[in-house]
Amino acid sequence: MTGRRNLLIFGIGMGLAIVTGWTAFPRALYVRREQPLEFHHKTHSEKSGLTQCDSCHVLGSDGEFGGIPGLVTCAGCHAEKVGTSKSEATLVDGYIKPSRETPWLVYSRQPANVWFSHAIHTRRAGLACKDCHGTMGESDQPRIYEQNRISGYSRDIWGHSISRLGRAPHDGMTMSDCEDCHRRRNVEVGCLGCHK
Amino acid sequence: MKVTRRDLLIGSAGAVAGLALTPVPWKLLNDVSIWTQNFPWIPQPAYGPVETKYSACTLCESGCGIRVRMAEKFPVGVAGVRSHPLTKGALCPLAFAAHQLNWHPRRLREVRHAGRAASWAEAQAAFQKACGEGPIAIVDGRPGRAVSSVFEAFTRKHNGSYQAVLSAESQALAPYADWSGVPVASLGYDLENARTIVSFGAPVLDGWGTPGRFTQLWSERAAGAADPQLRLIQIEPSLSRSAARAWRWVRVREGIEAQLAAGLARVLLEERLVTQPGPMPRLSLAEAAAQTGLAPEAIRDLSHTMMENRPVVVIAADGNPAIAALNVLLGAVATPGGIVRKRGEVQPHVPDDPVPESIRAMLVDSTVPWEFAAQANAEVFRFAAWDGGGDRAGWLLPAPGFLEELTDVPTSPTSALPTYAVAQNLVALPIGVQSAAQFLVKIDPTMPAVEKVIHARCGEIFRSRQGSVYGEHPIAATKVDSAQHLEEQLRKGAVWMGEPPSPGKFRCELKEWPMENRVAPATSWATAWVPPVFPALATKLYQESNLREPPAERRG
Repeated sequence: MTGRRNLLIFGIGMGLAIVTGWTAFPRALYVRREQPLEFHHKTHSEKSGLTQCDSCHVLGSDGEFGGIPGLVTCAGCHAEKVGTSKSEATLVDGYIKPSRETPWLVYSRQPANVWFSHAIHTRRAGLACKDCHGTMGESDQPRIYEQNRISGYSRDIWGHSISRLGRAPHDGMTMSDCEDCHRRRNVEVGCLGCHK
Repeated sequence: MKVTRRDLLIGSAGAVAGLALTPVPWKLLNDVSIWTQNFPWIPQPAYGPVETKYSACTLCESGCGIRVRMAEKFPVGVAGVRSHPLTKGALCPLAFAAHQLNWHPRRLREVRHAGRAASWAEAQAAFQKACGEGPIAIVDGRPGRAVSSVFEAFTRKHNGSYQAVLSAESQALAPYADWSGVPVASLGYDLENARTIVSFGAPVLDGWGTPGRFTQLWSERAAGAADPQLRLIQIEPSLSRSAARAWRWVRVREGIEAQLAAGLARVLLEERLVTQPGPMPRLSLAEAAAQTGLAPEAIRDLSHTMMENRPVVVIAADGNPAIAALNVLLGAVATPGGIVRKRGEVQPHVPDDPVPESIRAMLVDSTVPWEFAAQANAEVFRFAAWDGGGDRAGWLLPAPGFLEELTDVPTSPTSALPTYAVAQNLVALPIGVQSAAQFLVKIDPTMPAVEKVIHARCGEIFRSRQGSVYGEHPIAATKVDSAQHLEEQLRKGAVWMGEPPSPGKFRCELKEWPMENRVAPATSWATAWVPPVFPALATKLYQESNLREPPAERRG
């Protein structure tokens, strides 16, 4: 009787830990932050005809990647308010008029000790943007930016599945993900290939 | 049901076992390990717009073209510039990581006097007082720059002495300057037209001269070939990187370069392998063989091999006149593929200032290697960006680091063509840091500003209408609209390069065969010192890096 009771209590403790570890822990680990503006990729591609990613995320002829377009690009169309939304007012009054860059929270931002060449991956390896960034370009509303409380990185780096099991190929940008992709494609890169 | 302490312990044990089946321990381990890489005290570059700037490297006097990746106005990466006419995209390992140097733990950020914190005002007052009390000396590590003009002007006005510390490469050219009267800065090596290079211990594939220039030549004309177009014969006691890759490595005893040169000269003269008449060395072949550790046949064979594939030029590791004399004998002076004189006016490197018997104070520029220790009992004002350790100066004054100062880059010592580049101050000067020129201008505001000297030099180059400007697209100097446009181009990272040398413009004559292993007694305490070829700061990076492999081999 005592043995069975002990087993039950052990099982309850174990069950509670498993449930907490799989459900509450991921929620507690990430802090949810909103982007400074509501940016809609879909609206921009539909209304302005900018259907290609590199229309705004420019990849220069010398391989230099422009990243998120600067304020000058936004001001090309939004020098004055286009529409009446709150975000539009924030963009024009809060950033464009005072010439202050928008402090975007970058989902795919890598640590400072890593460099990544978009030119090599898209031009030489022929990868599509969505191979790493998923359907970001089709989003009709900005995702919540989830920041890891301990490492400070975006959740997109680890991937949305905490166990990393059964995740989509573009879900995750850790060093292991880079290594896996390189291994699959039989491309060997040493430490200094990515690390500064 | 009563919950006992035992139940709690069993439940906890179950929870611990359960946690092992969740991502908690593994994810926490991963995140904590990342957290340890990002401690708040580790400097991080600001995140912001990325732009590329072009400039000239100022870590040494080679002035390699650099492409600097800037993020939010901070340099985050340095690479070579392929279109640069001299360096062709190559850089030394230190330059590849030079953007990190400003964050080096030994970076100087405050004035120190006798090991204690002091202020710029105190340093200025002390130097001003010294100027009034007796002769001063200013020591420059890279003569010929705009800031060198400020130093010279200051010493002229304040009854001082301007002195320069020459690099090993410049010192190797000093004997030719002594014999011909042509300034060291006007001399260079025409390596591109040479077919045999005999290096007496000069690390030609390992940091000698302008990075990329010789390694590029070697990879194109020599690497891996049994009978290469360009033969490199390395004479050295140990199997250095240059020796390991040379076409032939001649192993000799340490410090017998002059004896070997004399032995080679004797064979060349006795067997009439050279047309140039020259003084016969006093050392016989047998004596030379005994002292060098080589067999007489080996010295004879080496002499024949040198003459097989001409033009041949001999490169010394320092100012050994016996090795330089070998070039005179070989007819490798003022001829293509040998020692040549650059075209046009080049700022002389060796100043004529006599060294006063007693010096009250000495200002040492940050370009002077840390190891330099002048043999003078003077109050030392030492400018340096990084503390090299030890107690070397009364006053330690923090100087601008990498890319923090506007300066110009005159011709590299080994180059056969005159060049001129401007290194812009791409990074804001940290608080509490100033250059030696700024320091002197504060003491004497009548001194010329570095900007004005650079402006004047750009004007001189423009008016000479010679050479080409290598920027985004190379253009002839004659096609540049104005001196201002030329200066703008240079400030954006372009480099001006003069015309190729014309042979036969100077003459070296030997009255007797020099036997000293080193340069004849130095005329000043500054030139007597032989600087190391590579800065000590780079040692670790240098040893662990493969970045210095020549381009052809990297591709392979």
